[in-house]
Amino acid sequence: MTIPQSRVRNFSIIAHIDHGKTTLSDRLLELTHTIEARQMTSQVLDSMDLEKEKGITIKARAVRLEYTAADGLAYALNLIDTPGHVDFSYEVSRSLQACEGAILVVDAAQGIEAQTLANVHLALREGLTIIPVLNKIDLPSAQPDVVMEELESVLAIPREEVILASAKEGTGVPEILEAIVARIPPPKGAADAPLRALVFDSHYDPYKGVVCYIRLEEGTLHEHDVIRLMASGAETELLELGVFRPQLVPVKQLAAGEVGYVATGLKNVREAQVGDTVTTVARPAAEPFPGYQAAKSLVFAGLYPVAGPDYPLLRDALEKLHLNDASFTFEPESSVALGFGFRCGFLGLLHMEIVQERLEREFDLDLIASAPSVEYHVNLTASRGQVVVDNPARFPDVGEIESIEEPWVNLGIVTPDRYIGSLMELTTNRRGTFLTMEYLDPQRVHMHFELPLAELIVDYYDQLKTRTQGYASMEYEEAGYRAANLVKLDVLVNGEPVDALSLIVHRDRAQTTGRALTTQLRKLIPRQMFEVPIQAAIGSHVVARETLAAMRKNVLAKCYGGDITRKRKLLEKQKEGKQRMKRVGSVEIPQEAFLAILRMDED
Amino acid sequence: MSPGAADPRPPVAPRLADRRPPVALYLHVPFCVSLCPYCDFVVVAGAGARGASSRIAAFVEALATELRLRADTLDALFGGPSSGGRPALASVYLGGGTPSLLAPDDVARLLGIAGARFGLADGAEVTLEANPGPDERGDAAAFARAGVTRLSLGAQAMDAKLLRRLGRRHAPADVAAAVAEARAGGIANVSVDLLYDVPGQTPDGWAETLDAAVALGVDHVSAYALTLDDPDAEGLTGPLGDHLPTRAGARRWRAAAVVEQDEDRAADQYRTAVERLGAAGFRGYEISNWARPGRESRHNLAYWRRLPHEAVGPGAHAFDGAVRRWNAARLEPYLAALAAAPTLPPGGEEPVDAAAAAAETAILALRLDTGLPVAAAMAPGSRLAPHLDWALGAGLLTRFVSEDGEARVRLTTDGRLLSNELFARLV
Repeated sequence: MTIPQSRVRNFSIIAHIDHGKTTLSDRLLELTHTIEARQMTSQVLDSMDLEKEKGITIKARAVRLEYTAADGLAYALNLIDTPGHVDFSYEVSRSLQACEGAILVVDAAQGIEAQTLANVHLALREGLTIIPVLNKIDLPSAQPDVVMEELESVLAIPREEVILASAKEGTGVPEILEAIVARIPPPKGAADAPLRALVFDSHYDPYKGVVCYIRLEEGTLHEHDVIRLMASGAETELLELGVFRPQLVPVKQLAAGEVGYVATGLKNVREAQVGDTVTTVARPAAEPFPGYQAAKSLVFAGLYPVAGPDYPLLRDALEKLHLNDASFTFEPESSVALGFGFRCGFLGLLHMEIVQERLEREFDLDLIASAPSVEYHVNLTASRGQVVVDNPARFPDVGEIESIEEPWVNLGIVTPDRYIGSLMELTTNRRGTFLTMEYLDPQRVHMHFELPLAELIVDYYDQLKTRTQGYASMEYEEAGYRAANLVKLDVLVNGEPVDALSLIVHRDRAQTTGRALTTQLRKLIPRQMFEVPIQAAIGSHVVARETLAAMRKNVLAKCYGGDITRKRKLLEKQKEGKQRMKRVGSVEIPQEAFLAILRMDED
Repeated sequence: MSPGAADPRPPVAPRLADRRPPVALYLHVPFCVSLCPYCDFVVVAGAGARGASSRIAAFVEALATELRLRADTLDALFGGPSSGGRPALASVYLGGGTPSLLAPDDVARLLGIAGARFGLADGAEVTLEANPGPDERGDAAAFARAGVTRLSLGAQAMDAKLLRRLGRRHAPADVAAAVAEARAGGIANVSVDLLYDVPGQTPDGWAETLDAAVALGVDHVSAYALTLDDPDAEGLTGPLGDHLPTRAGARRWRAAAVVEQDEDRAADQYRTAVERLGAAGFRGYEISNWARPGRESRHNLAYWRRLPHEAVGPGAHAFDGAVRRWNAARLEPYLAALAAAPTLPPGGEEPVDAAAAAAETAILALRLDTGLPVAAAMAPGSRLAPHLDWALGAGLLTRFVSEDGEARVRLTTDGRLLSNELFARLV
């Protein structure tokens, strides 16, 4: 069925984790018979296991809903899903760029959260029409009046525009569908102009190559057209063109305003990254869309196989995973302590966790991750220029460093006001600067800080959640580089430097950090057969020292008839445990120790 | 496969040539008056162990039946006990549980079957485990008449407060009474079990316990570090497992106790045992066992020398040189199988492959102060050699020359305390 451009609507849903985006999407699919209720596996849009477990949407997905509105006409509603985490703000911005409107879903009991605010501001900047929805009004704890007041005061959304809904029970969902048709404008681009289509997501398919999810702004795309990706320069003849129902359904053509996919046959997602512009080779567009950025890594860590011989398996796994997720980078590196591995760059700490978990789960690998680091700009002495270092172990010698700059972020936190003091303390202890704060409603505030990114990636988010019983939410954006008085802190175990444990710290806090780190390591490294000194040092100057006492006893007291096999198996387990540890000099160090830096605030 | 797996693989046919007839027999008697919270052994307590609803009588019948069925199998494989293909048993061990809850007549009857169907060597060691309490230890003289030659007393501590913490029913004075009764009744060989690394135990308290045991004139001391394992987590407590599920109360007790255990205290206590028992004329012939000369447990030596042994009763383990076999721990299925038309009770078995056998042999030999011969164990190309070299270098092993002039290695006291560091390399 061909639907004229005037009856196409492209929209996203903006919501905080757990505010009900996925449930609402499911209801929309059901109500438009895109998927029958009995076929619904709960939460169709989150198709990765990991997404379901973490309750977040990692990769954007899209679906086309065919809806006959109250006016009796058939409409095509393209729902473009957005990733739900701070690490993926660039992806969110591209998804929003593909839309004319957005449904803002706010939990009627929780109110608006930091990341939602950030995304609404993004949407408003893109000129999107916002349809505000208060979800979960069936909950006894729902406070629709308070939250509506919040929307009015913070986002200038009049309460008359707010739709009250319970996606779980289906209440308000028909009204939302009508509002999509009535309030969101249709797309405008000319179908006869040269093609310009925005890539807002992609995935890799072993048979179809890179499949790009696109929104056509102008022009028309036909099957078998030869396309060009304007940023990467890649050219290819289309293998397939289609729409999302939500499975991929081929069509003959797509015109301006529509949303669909193209199977490119390209072998590498890097050639068709999010934000790139698709045009035709036959009649290319003059200009690509503005604002394209290649995925930018903010957090870096080394990933190493626990078993050295697994190195080639890790390389294959990274290559395969990278086909689907071009937003992380990897290159070989080696560590004295950990052997051969890869230096990987991630969008953020959560992204790092996801990549590591997928590698371990989908490729059955046992990995050690070194502590995450940011990218430092190190200015060398004697005007020898600047080097970019993302691995503390690779820092130039102290004598060669003129100055160091580190990345900062602007951090926004939405929290109940009773936690203001605690969050001030947390953030200023981490070298953050408080900027401003405004009340969203009588109990909730939006706080603004500046903070070195390096301080944010070391369990800041966990601390924020712990200190606020999970009530606070945050978002951040890059805020450039600033000079900092930083030093490299080395860790020596039994006199041997463990390069994978080196970290960059502010000079004023080197000793405190060194103490906390050595204390933590003393707890994480099991007793060895001899006494082991654990030291933290700046250059040759030791700033903290702990001593791990020698092991005194490891013996099976009883070994009779039935014990013999049983105890042999226990010994085999002990042996496996030892093999999973990394040997540095003569000391066996367990995997957890390499993340000691992330656990220093536990005590 | 672990003993707890619910669905054992079909038994792997072991090589007949590796199978050997038993030289030792273990009988498991799974009854106690009450349960001790730290104990992992297969035990039934309470109503099943005494009074009108006691299962002891049914159990003795079942045990007698199992003895006969096991003997039938051995007869078929190796010929009867007097045929020359079967050595007479050098030892019989009634363990538990609390085998001293059995009537002496029942003990006599079981030993009679053992003698008739397995053969009992002249001067065979026949051990009975007993608890020291007056309502638990039974009649030593009657046990002696039934054929018992050695008594192993579960003393555990010689301190009333600690005994209470351990959930024991007896007082320190009961241990002395039990030893005196055994001597008077004609049991010449008496052993006591003691526990260290117990919550609330002081270094002095442990030294006093050791001294008190020595002062009783016992022949043998087993001193064990309190070991709080979790057989459920090891997967040993399924329907065919050799352990019973841990009860909630015991689980709570262990969780509270384990945080009060202390590696440094335990190591010091072990050294105290080495010193005090050594000074009193005991030889530490195994990691946890000390004996006056000639009073080493022959039955337990059979385990450490990896000699074939037969075993009957719930949870009991047997070994024939090629296969380790066990009975499931649960009492009622055990009794049911051996009632009316008797069949062998449920359980499982696991062949021991050559590598595991070599590791077991070395580990068990190193538990003993007789150690391993250098020539064989440390020959170039031996899989063990690099690990033994390492242990010599680390001071865990020492070379010595045995009485018959053979160069051997054995664990030092440090080596005993850290023996798993070596053993984990040998498996």
